[in-house]
Amino acid sequence: MITITINGEKREFDEGSTVSDVLNNMGAEKQRVAVVVNENIIYPENRSSVVLQENDDVELLVFVEGG
Amino acid sequence: MNELKIGTYTFTSRLILGTGKFGNIKTMVESIRRSGTQMVTVALRRFDPEQADQDLFSALSSIEGLTLMPNTSGASTAEEAVRAARISRELSGSPFIKVEIHPNPQHLMPDPIETYEACRILASEGFLVMPYVPADPVLAKRLEDVGCAPVMPLGSAIGSGQGIATSEMIRLIIRESGIPVIVDAGLRSPSEACAAMEMGCEAVLVNSAIAAAANPPEMAEAFAGAVKAGHRAREAGIMPKSGSAVATSPLTSFLGTAS
Repeated sequence: MITITINGEKREFDEGSTVSDVLNNMGAEKQRVAVVVNENIIYPENRSSVVLQENDDVELLVFVEGG
Repeated sequence: MNELKIGTYTFTSRLILGTGKFGNIKTMVESIRRSGTQMVTVALRRFDPEQADQDLFSALSSIEGLTLMPNTSGASTAEEAVRAARISRELSGSPFIKVEIHPNPQHLMPDPIETYEACRILASEGFLVMPYVPADPVLAKRLEDVGCAPVMPLGSAIGSGQGIATSEMIRLIIRESGIPVIVDAGLRSPSEACAAMEMGCEAVLVNSAIAAAANPPEMAEAFAGAVKAGHRAREAGIMPKSGSAVATSPLTSFLGTAS
């Protein structure tokens, strides 16, 4: 297992987990979500190939209502 | 002639809507439709698994011809705003960004120094930068010089409904500006939006006045009418003011009885 931080919370994932695996696990796969790993934007076409590492910092961001 | 131009984009509607404070997404979508707007602003936040069914992007995507202008609300520095803008562009697929940096939650006044710095960087990266700024003609000119697409001076504090408290400064900004001026924040009623357009604003951005109305979709349509009326009046050429009466009827004597 590896520990990664998602939106500020530490979570355990299987080694070899990809960004797509994390999105599925979080229930975010159906939404338009921006993914930032260690300050780098991960574009949709790369999400199934980017493998997360121990202590990676992942931010999942969406649009919400605002003025 | 009657299109709003921002960068190379054109819009027939001159009313921009914020999406906050609506009771639910359905009311928001209906209000957007009734307003006829072609541009709305949205905020960027962390994904919340418990709100996975609240998919704002899908709801807005269902409205044909709508352009998203993400905003950087929540940023209190230029660095944070630039970061939010880059991520937002990935999500929206649109070059528009509303730069909004207000570090003090008590009054939500925009920080002119951080805003200027963020705009300078984002304009150089090809964003169509729409900064929410204090109504300051000097700052507005400096933002034009660094490549902002329009400037968006505040009428009064965000969500306050205090109307256009800054009208004389906004007149100066319009007079000096080579880019569109859009009043953002503080409007309460359609007459104020109409007044902003008569003054020479190219558009207005409204959120609370519609979202917090008793009937938001109806108010959205009322604002749309007011914005159109104000713009048409401006185009038609508003008569000058006179310090004294100027008769509208002939002043010759009735039935020729007097000299």
